[in-house]
Amino acid sequence: MAKAVGIDLGTTNSVVAVMEGGKATVIINSDGGRLTPSVVAYSKTGERLVGQLAKRQAAINPEQTIYSAKRFVGRRYSEVQSEIKNVPYRVTAGPNDAVRFEIAGKQIAPEEISASVLRKLADDASKYIGEKVTDAIITVPAYFNDAQRQATKDAGKIAGLKVLRIINEPTAAALAYGLDKKGNETIMVFDLGGGTFDVSILEVGDGVFEVKSTSGDTHLGGDDFDKRIVDWLAQEFLRDQGIELRKDRQSLQRLTEAAEKAKVELSSVVETSISLPFITADAAGPKHLEMKLARAKFDQLTADLVERCVGPVKQALLDAKLGERDIDEVVLVGGSTRTPAVQALVRRLIAGKEPNQSVNPDEVVAIGAAIQAGVLAGDVKDVVLLDVTPLSLGVETLGGVMTKLVERNTTIPVKRSEVFSTAEENQTAVDIHIMQGERELARDNRTLGHFRLEGIRPAQRGLPQIEVTFDIDTNGILTVKARDKETDKAQEITISGSTQLSRDEIDRMVADAKGHAEEDKRRHEEVEARNAANSVAYQAERQVKALDGSVPLNEKARAEQLIADIRQSTKSEPADIARLRRLTSDLQQLVYGLESASHGSAAGGPQGKPPGADDVIDAEFRPSK
Amino acid sequence: MANGSEIKEEMGPCGERPAGAEGPEYERLKAELSREHELYLRTLADFDNYRRRVERERATSAHAGKRELVIPLLEVLADFDRALEHLGDVPEWMSSGFVAIYKRLTSSLQAQGIVPFESLGNRFDPVRHEAVGLTESEDAEPGTVVAELSRGYCWGDEVLRPARVRVAQ
Repeated sequence: MAKAVGIDLGTTNSVVAVMEGGKATVIINSDGGRLTPSVVAYSKTGERLVGQLAKRQAAINPEQTIYSAKRFVGRRYSEVQSEIKNVPYRVTAGPNDAVRFEIAGKQIAPEEISASVLRKLADDASKYIGEKVTDAIITVPAYFNDAQRQATKDAGKIAGLKVLRIINEPTAAALAYGLDKKGNETIMVFDLGGGTFDVSILEVGDGVFEVKSTSGDTHLGGDDFDKRIVDWLAQEFLRDQGIELRKDRQSLQRLTEAAEKAKVELSSVVETSISLPFITADAAGPKHLEMKLARAKFDQLTADLVERCVGPVKQALLDAKLGERDIDEVVLVGGSTRTPAVQALVRRLIAGKEPNQSVNPDEVVAIGAAIQAGVLAGDVKDVVLLDVTPLSLGVETLGGVMTKLVERNTTIPVKRSEVFSTAEENQTAVDIHIMQGERELARDNRTLGHFRLEGIRPAQRGLPQIEVTFDIDTNGILTVKARDKETDKAQEITISGSTQLSRDEIDRMVADAKGHAEEDKRRHEEVEARNAANSVAYQAERQVKALDGSVPLNEKARAEQLIADIRQSTKSEPADIARLRRLTSDLQQLVYGLESASHGSAAGGPQGKPPGADDVIDAEFRPSK
Repeated sequence: MANGSEIKEEMGPCGERPAGAEGPEYERLKAELSREHELYLRTLADFDNYRRRVERERATSAHAGKRELVIPLLEVLADFDRALEHLGDVPEWMSSGFVAIYKRLTSSLQAQGIVPFESLGNRFDPVRHEAVGLTESEDAEPGTVVAELSRGYCWGDEVLRPARVRVAQ
């Protein structure tokens, strides 16, 4: 079956994502990265390299390494004069004033470069999902004209892809946040990437997006921020040591990497240190660069860059004839929007509104494109309906504990079963108390229903096997069934309201469980200690009775004393957990001792298991009242 | 032949259709069934692929965890290499101690299968090398590595860190 992917074909980097099980997933490329550099190189031997590999050889093959092809795609040669000045490769005019790159005497169209990048992304995606990728949605900036869109579509075709649709990058970003489902809204998408800044204002209604205005700065991005740090480091070093680091390529490369790392760190901490030992050397010996960069200093170094975003935002609002208060949602796109100063600026410009930034800003466009691809390929509308159980479901077991069968946030439909047993001798019925909630003890959770399974054959406690099954269908309807495995007697109940809680109720119950986690844990331990103690006391009693006569009198007296102590301790409220555990362990030791002594006298018989220690029993039901 | 509405009336809620009967409702249900079946197959395929990938990722997740730790360490190792070039300037007790520490670090990486590879004199290969620039050279053939600025490391078949190199013009 063919798969459709969403591709964010960027100026600097590209990203590909796919819908999988109703969720958009970013695909890891063959080099292990989530971002693929939009770089294509033709080596001297005629080999074509794409992505990271092309980037690695750029320094020795600058004339045949094409990056930023997006700045040229679908444009006329006469329109791109200012761009040509910024690139080391040769750009010439082709037929009808079309842009062509000249590589080893051959003319190559920008579409072919984009096609190579698209082909790699699709191949990596096929490998990753284990299915052939044939269809794609490709995103373009909102300001792209018809020729640029057509050229992008052609690039897809050259790459052997069926381009389902070309969609706007800001629209894709809004889709990633599900803003198409929120009714009529005005959305601002603020996209500060590696080398370009775009701001778009969209209006959405009935799931249809309309671009009201776009503005931006085609040469402003994260690389400019890095360069400010590089320049600052180099100038400080020059002042202290008298050596210009930017003249040496290797030093400059190390500085650039350190600068980018520092910038990333300053998004989460207020100060970072930059350490580049042996960065250079002079007659006096090697020199090290050791500096601290505070966020405040970084903000100062980049203040004018951040300020350059203001004009386009105001322009976009003006063109859309809107005021800052008319914007309902702001979406942040591009890695540079992680910079705190940029986020502060966005808040300032849009009347203090909190921007949408929970989706990775480097990936949000590709994710939105994948969602759209899924809708067009028909796998989103239906699969997205997959729901989860908002709260855990389970039954009450011995000691008033809730034993969970279905954890919260489990995707439905789902079926889970577990085998339980009886807690009393000759118990002929069990009460199934169905609960919903996150607390440890049954009494703190919500009761969904009760029923009783009767007709269990009288047996020792712990022997009957009662299988309890929770089955939730796609509509959230819960059926609980209990079956005695021996007699095949069964009983069931259907509960339809298990998922119909309001969001507030669910949040309250989850928060409640978090708030009581400590207390609940202690109470759970108490119940467990009591259950364990009772169980060992019961075993000991049986053992002593069974071995009557062969047990030395003093051992018997000690066992009886311990059993009495345990019975006493389990009744006290609250239980002394430490004391209970100690008594339990003492008695357990005594029981083992008795057992091996008796086996010893039976001339090396098989090692017996204490009764009630059967592996299938996970918990016990308290006796039916 | 009976039309659809008549057939609808003939049928109870779970009624069985007479063999060979057709109609718009029947066609609609048939189409819906085939759509649902297609969706079901898609979801199964999705899940199967997902399961296989998770298995694959589980197998490599320990590897991925190590890689995250090791790659920054290789940067530190490159600093070590740079320091080694200046060992002649310090007292012997210092330099020999320094070399001992360096050896311990490299041998513990080696124990994990992480080893440096040779680049000097080899043809430039973007899988293993990252070019810093070109250098004029009389005796080296164009396209071969003439200087290694920082070492490259591999881990089995995987290049963990390409070597930073200068290449003959």
